[in-house]
Amino acid sequence: MSAAGQWDVLQQAIIDGKTAAVESEVRRLLEAGAAPESIINEGMIPAMIKVGELFEEGQFFVPEMLISARAMRAGLAIVKPLLRSTEKVTKAKVVLGTIQGDLHDIGKNLVGMMLEGAGYEVIDLGTDVPPDKFVQTAKEQQASLIGVSALLTTTMIRMQDVVRSVEQAGLKGKVGVLVGGAPVNERFAKEIGADGYAPNASAAVRVADSLLGKLKGA
Amino acid sequence: MRLDQLAVAAYRDGRRMVAPLLGYPGVQLTGSTIRQNTFNSELHARSLQALAERFRPDLLFFMMNLSLEAGALGLPVRYPLQESASVEEHPVRRASDLEQFRQIDPLADALIQAHIDTMRRMKDLLPAGILRGGYVVGPFTLAGLLMGATSLALATVEQPELVTEVVEFARGVVEAYGRELVKAGAQVIAILEPTATFLSPAAFRKFAGRADRQVIQALQEESSRKAATAGEEVMTILHICGDAGHLVEAMAETGAQGLSLDSDVDLAAAARRVPADVVLVGNIDPVAVMGAGDQEAVAAAVEHLLEAMDPYPNFILSTGCDLPWNTPLANVETFMRAGRGWRRQAGHDK
Ligand code: B12
Repeated sequence: MSAAGQWDVLQQAIIDGKTAAVESEVRRLLEAGAAPESIINEGMIPAMIKVGELFEEGQFFVPEMLISARAMRAGLAIVKPLLRSTEKVTKAKVVLGTIQGDLHDIGKNLVGMMLEGAGYEVIDLGTDVPPDKFVQTAKEQQASLIGVSALLTTTMIRMQDVVRSVEQAGLKGKVGVLVGGAPVNERFAKEIGADGYAPNASAAVRVADSLLGKLKGA
Repeated sequence: MRLDQLAVAAYRDGRRMVAPLLGYPGVQLTGSTIRQNTFNSELHARSLQALAERFRPDLLFFMMNLSLEAGALGLPVRYPLQESASVEEHPVRRASDLEQFRQIDPLADALIQAHIDTMRRMKDLLPAGILRGGYVVGPFTLAGLLMGATSLALATVEQPELVTEVVEFARGVVEAYGRELVKAGAQVIAILEPTATFLSPAAFRKFAGRADRQVIQALQEESSRKAATAGEEVMTILHICGDAGHLVEAMAETGAQGLSLDSDVDLAAAARRVPADVVLVGNIDPVAVMGAGDQEAVAAAVEHLLEAMDPYPNFILSTGCDLPWNTPLANVETFMRAGRGWRRQAGHDK
């Protein structure tokens, strides 16, 4: 492959959240002969990892992170149709939503965008989502992961119903349940039998990746 | 009187002002629901009276309702029986979408009037010596309800003029309502700006802080108009729940006399970062400690906080955010007792 500097312009444009610059750089790279999957895996995804780090360090705030994720999405939209069908277009599908009774969605949206940035296809069910709806959608869409967000302690317990519903549908071990949101922690996730927990959006990607590995191994 | 003068005077007397964000638990004392209190000012005021008589806080707010102003603009709001209300749709996409809302007089709304009436009734029903507090939503948070919080976040970077315009519109609504609360006898008004937690300090100053400052000035102006006869000027608090640790300085710049901060924030560290005439209000965890903890946990948390804040006169003991309706009343009692039990240690004054 060519010099490491090949992706610099693209990565900086993503970090700066410049949608038009991302689009034109992606087109330029394609014309210069870069492989679509390299543009995604070597160009874009490391940029989003960097964005996640900047957020965790307190240098980026929610708006900056959302803008970067959106710029990356614009680039993905150009590259994805060019991937040959034999190449894996997405890592996996994730059904994402905020639990029933809860309308907070900023964190959930951030997680969704970071997952997309990392190569997942995200099916966003929005807020106030009944537990069954997650599982039903996962079944219909053949998703590998379900991500549930909760910000209210009064309704976070309903996440347990998502886990139960996965079991009842006979999908335990095939569909992984990932939980998060400010009041949720590792211990609560274990207690309700969720397969994974992450405290923020970039950690969510890491946890989703490792969970996916385990599911495949099963 | 300013809030800092009251807090410092109490401190010099060797005590602390104690003011948990009570509101909702009042439903337990009147056997009612949140929804009933929202719609019925007479009941609402009686619930507050019962809280005031039982717990004798230094300051009592009415029940928090972040959706009130949005509902008055005609946004669809869900009112569950025993949960906080919430706004269901966020229709503003562009500046022209505001036009339809400009036609609406928020003060004509029945629930806005019910809250103004609750404030009037608090004047008659609350025992003397307990300050009457009201809430208004912050302009930036109202903008988030109008546009959707995620769209608002994106727009702070991509369409700053749109954000400024929506916030500016929201400010007008908030001011109109806030002025009525002052006229109705509010002695303290807290501006609720939770959606601003996701902003950087620079973005906070630009999009939220400036408007918050204008609201504060408008409220003070309204009360000084009244002060000629009543002799009291309204005190203002800026409240942000969640982790607003990075915003403390910017919040203080709004001119709010008090900053009400959530349990995620290190309050003693915050005290070192604000001028001495800005009062810190907080910050016992309303849910994990007050709602779910036992009395021992409450006492321990309050004592720990009182100790950490010992060197700072500019402090009012409170909760990080409003209490869940089913907070055990014994926990509130313990909170009050632990707060009242504090005595200033000699030599700690700066
Ligand atoms: C902004 C906000 C609002 C906005 C919401 C706007 C929106 N569309 O989302 C508004 C003003 C509308 C609002 C309304 C209410 N709110 Co509110 N709100 C907040 C606040 C201040 C910030 C939340 C936020 O967006 N943070 C920024 C994002 C980026 O962080 P995050 O959500 O935590 O997400 C990150 C991680 O948690 C994680 N994550 C999130 N989801 C997921 C999912 C998965 C799968 C994974 C892996 C990870 C993950 O990654 C994210 C990115 O890093 C919090 C305070 C707090 N401590 O969180 C209160 C808070 C959540 N609200 C609270 C309450 C009570 C309410 C109301 C009931 C009214 C009220 N009295 O304040 C209503 C509820 C309406 C309803 N039915 O849902 C309470 C909840 C108390 C409790 N423990 O139950 C809090 C904690 C404030 C408090 N201390 O009282 N709120």
